[in-house]
Amino acid sequence: MTGSTVTGSTATSSAVTGSTATNSTVTGSVPAARDEALAEVLSATAEHAAETDATAEFPLDALNAMRSTGLLGRVVPAEYGGGGWGIDDVLAVTMRLARADLSVALIFAMHCQQAITVVRHARGALRERLLTELGRGKCYLASVTTERGKGGHLLSSESKVAAEAGWLRIDRDAPVVTGGVHADGYLITVLAPDASSPNQVSLVYGARDQLEVSVLGGWDPLGMRATHSVPMRLRGQVPADQVVGQPGGFRDIAATTFGPLAHLGWAAAWLGAATGAFSRAVGHLRSERGRRQFDPSSELLLTRVARIRGRLDLVHALLRHTAGVFAVTEPSAPPAQLLINTLKVQAAEQCFAAIDEMVELLGLRDGYLRGSPLFLEQVFRDLRSASLNYSNDRLNLANGSLALLDQQVHLV
Amino acid sequence: MDTGFLTVLQPFLKYAGSQPITAESSLHDLGLDSMRAIELLFAIEDAYQVSVPDELLNDATFATAGSLWAAVKSLLALATR
Repeated sequence: MTGSTVTGSTATSSAVTGSTATNSTVTGSVPAARDEALAEVLSATAEHAAETDATAEFPLDALNAMRSTGLLGRVVPAEYGGGGWGIDDVLAVTMRLARADLSVALIFAMHCQQAITVVRHARGALRERLLTELGRGKCYLASVTTERGKGGHLLSSESKVAAEAGWLRIDRDAPVVTGGVHADGYLITVLAPDASSPNQVSLVYGARDQLEVSVLGGWDPLGMRATHSVPMRLRGQVPADQVVGQPGGFRDIAATTFGPLAHLGWAAAWLGAATGAFSRAVGHLRSERGRRQFDPSSELLLTRVARIRGRLDLVHALLRHTAGVFAVTEPSAPPAQLLINTLKVQAAEQCFAAIDEMVELLGLRDGYLRGSPLFLEQVFRDLRSASLNYSNDRLNLANGSLALLDQQVHLV
Repeated sequence: MDTGFLTVLQPFLKYAGSQPITAESSLHDLGLDSMRAIELLFAIEDAYQVSVPDELLNDATFATAGSLWAAVKSLLALATR
């Protein structure tokens, strides 16, 4: 897990390449052509989800299935060997994976966030090299944006790099790197070499074999346990042309791509997890045992069910609408930034409220016990992280300022 | 840019230090974030007795000291017309 925000200007295009079709459906299902790869990843996910949650280990089987099926390369344009997926495809697959395991879905969504950032912002020789590599679908990218001292704040850095004769020497300490132990490459925020302020941040690609990677601590959280988001240190030299975008230009990348994609991907993952839990809960209520346990005509039950379903529909509508705005709008104006931040805040709050109400509805045995086949308690623990994963408090502060800048209250 | 404008601007740029602020200076690089931007907006509106319309409150206006001064100047020109 990691952090990003949208406090600068906002998005320009949803399709990764600007031209990809948006062909997912509102139910979150995916076209048949992708079912086979997805089914394989889902199978590996479901088989190991309870174990990786219990041990807080990375879901390596799911990742290897994403590699072997090429799912990791789908957002890369076809000319580089990828699948040319658009944002809606990523959101649909993320939602589907999250029904089975939120950690796996988050890992996938965050990889896609990194890969799409490369697609949209890498230039020159790096673009050719890296997209060809990513297009093969074997390369898993991790995000290194957190720092001690600044926490998850995205748009500043205190990590200096030394520029020497065409090389950048990196020594980067990061307290939270999701999947960093198993990543094949990293997108790393660092202070630009000639920076005169902490706000001049570059995004640098480092391949695993260019870096000495060490793990500085463990990972034993309440939920999201399989994300294995450990503290790490990355050291090494990379060619100076491995800066993604302009040196010192990460702010633009964050505002137009990195931040919006983080919020869209997280929201899709949280919604998928809550949706899967609700589907299992409804299945239980309709089962023979469930009907003995619960009176389907109970007004309390029906009202509770309706409220939970309403929260899911609300987040889904907001997610789709925000993805649509991201696809067509190029606003540096506050209203679109507000919307993208609001999506993250509301998805976090509503999805957690939904799972909390599901636990209340199903009660101690089916809602709360570990080992229940409904695994609502795991989803509850996982979704508790949503408001903390790039803190809602921080986004609300930014949105408070943005709202004051929009006196006319332009709703987009 | 007039010196009065630089005086209004300076306190909001925590990384400006003693370096001179020019028209090309990036306000973000010098430490202006969205929360400081709203405080700077209020300071400008108080200092120049103008009201900055929503349409001007975007990244382009707040990009550099020069772009922000250009926006203020355009509002002052309107006010004296």
